[in-house]
Amino acid sequence: MLKATKALAALAAAALALSACGGGGGGSSSKELKLWHYETQDSAMGVAWNQAIKEFEAAHPGVKVKFEEKSFEQMQKTAPMILNSKDAPDIMEYNKGNATAGLLAKQGLLTDMTAEVTKRGWDKLLPPSVAETAKYDAKGVMGGDKWYGVPNYAEYLQVYYNKSLFDKYGIKVPTTFDEFTKAMDTFVQKGVTPLSNAGAEYPAQQYLYQLALSKADKPWVDRYERYTGKVDFHDPAWTYAANTFNDWVKKGYIAKNSSGLKAEDAGTAFIAGKFPMFFSGSWWYGRYEKEIKNFQWDTFLWPDTKLTLGSSGNLWVVPKGSKNKDLAYDFINITMKKEIQNLLADNGGVPVAGDPAGVKDPKNKKLIENYQTLANNDALGFYPDWPAPAFYDVLVAGTQKLITGSAPPSSVLDGFAKAYNENLSNIGH
Amino acid sequence: MSSISVKRGTSAAHRRTPGAWAVLLALAVLAVVMLLPFVIITFNAFKTPAEYSSHGPLSVPKGFYLQGIKDFWNRVDFGAKLVNSLIISGSVAVLAVILSVLNSYALGIGRIKGRVWILVLFLLANTMPQEVLVYPLYFLSKKVDLYDTRLSVIIIFTAIQTAFGTYLLSSVLSTFPREILEAARMDGAGRFRILWRVVVPISRPTLGVLFVFFFIWTWNEFFLPMIFLISNENQTVPVALGVLQGQKMMDATMTSASALLGIIPAVVFFLIFQRTLTRGITVGAVK
Repeated sequence: MLKATKALAALAAAALALSACGGGGGGSSSKELKLWHYETQDSAMGVAWNQAIKEFEAAHPGVKVKFEEKSFEQMQKTAPMILNSKDAPDIMEYNKGNATAGLLAKQGLLTDMTAEVTKRGWDKLLPPSVAETAKYDAKGVMGGDKWYGVPNYAEYLQVYYNKSLFDKYGIKVPTTFDEFTKAMDTFVQKGVTPLSNAGAEYPAQQYLYQLALSKADKPWVDRYERYTGKVDFHDPAWTYAANTFNDWVKKGYIAKNSSGLKAEDAGTAFIAGKFPMFFSGSWWYGRYEKEIKNFQWDTFLWPDTKLTLGSSGNLWVVPKGSKNKDLAYDFINITMKKEIQNLLADNGGVPVAGDPAGVKDPKNKKLIENYQTLANNDALGFYPDWPAPAFYDVLVAGTQKLITGSAPPSSVLDGFAKAYNENLSNIGH
Repeated sequence: MSSISVKRGTSAAHRRTPGAWAVLLALAVLAVVMLLPFVIITFNAFKTPAEYSSHGPLSVPKGFYLQGIKDFWNRVDFGAKLVNSLIISGSVAVLAVILSVLNSYALGIGRIKGRVWILVLFLLANTMPQEVLVYPLYFLSKKVDLYDTRLSVIIIFTAIQTAFGTYLLSSVLSTFPREILEAARMDGAGRFRILWRVVVPISRPTLGVLFVFFFIWTWNEFFLPMIFLISNENQTVPVALGVLQGQKMMDATMTSASALLGIIPAVVFFLIFQRTLTRGITVGAVK
């Protein structure tokens, strides 16, 4: 017993000594660019940005980039506190949207970089629907007049399909909405559920929102996302979306038992070849390239729609407390260069200023060409959960009701309207 | 009395009654239920990502894939995180036990005025969710220049654990045999001497249990360390595990690998101090 006590005392003493000297250190002798992001090292962004760091250091002798990989959750929960302290980084990745970058901008924690954006010509590289999520107004609503961030990459939704299953049942890749539903009918007749879905997370609401977008136009999106006008959840677009989604469940396009599934389940079910189609984001693309080995797959855009889900990716933001703003802008400039953008594309990402001609892999090329088609047609319709904090959960609950059939479409839409309007009155619109 | 119970015990071991079998079966089922998550985590830790995606989480791994664990170790510099966690949990456990002893000596044995209210206060502090504490603690630590240091987390958790320790230890010490204290006083021992030579040695098993619990509780803390340790070089093990939970992606195999790495230290610690734990409980029971 005595021995144990002595050991403990020694341990405690050592621990205290260590923690006492841990406080200091980290003095800034030479120049340092403190950079944080939360992309994994082998993702498209991780690879491209690592290269950008190398090029930045080569171009700025005497400056060291001090990079730290952060967790998404930590950034989400602590960003306002970190940016309000002297430990803020010089440049960091942050989520686009009203509740995230918009909120920080409104609180005055981000640098307004409008002058820099026009001086360096980044605004010319970014199509309007991508730039929209980088600009915020005084209330922190996107689509404003001041640039608070610069996106490097974009994301959009498309239908991933299993070529082998399409061939097996003799189904052609649909180019119109009619062909799309006919293809699904054929799959159902053969006893195959055509769409992979997850009711407990974002996939279900993205099907629903896409159906609404196919009957909507850009002003409709502006009203919904940027509060530019009254939003009616019983207008033709929403009514069509809810009724059609309901129909699709009844017809068996979407499995009833998908109501409790997570996005990860829906995605891996596609990898396992259990579903011929999965409508989801370009964030799956790199993973599918690496992990799908047993069948051929490809993608097509949702047919017969002027708008589809998508937006810019996350933003580079420069905190108000950044000590090296000019270096931060230099770094952003390097990430916008063609070589870095194409490196992003080569690794399965969607660059905002890429050049399809410089991308080797034909599938990656198509990914970028599809994006450019959408961007040039101003066809990015953003995401349904953006307008209000915690609206995501409202949408999840609503679509789950549609999947299980526990509530009729009109009452689900009432539920959306209630939560949406509550938020409107909260933010004073 | 004791000989009878021993006899009954040995005979029961030879031929079990149906009731004993039922208890045994229930315990076995419970053990399987408790261990199953660990088995699944271990399975997935040794799978390649492609294998996981195409065969699902429940399949048995085909090979012994160590890359996930290696990659994770290097990616978050796991060795440094272990040292951080050890420093923080170790310091908190020691400091919180010392403070708890001092507090409860005054409250439980010293019986100072208003001790009931003080205990109620501690109890209330214990029920406070950590989310409520975040902002005040954040502003305080910024004021004294301790934001983003391990020392801030040590101080915070020492206070939190001490609140519980004081509450528990005070009620234990309030039943401390008065005769022993009287005898010590007769022999001319002062207050400090009584504490150090009499109270602490006798309640050492209880203190051991508190130490182990404080260590493991602090080790597993996620929320406050995540907020106060923003630099990667200061982070603890549970915060480092969070890196793998992406915005839209989760890397299930690497997450399993990291979870495996994350629980091993706590399990090892438990095994080392297991005897202290059981002894603490039995001694308390006899008393």
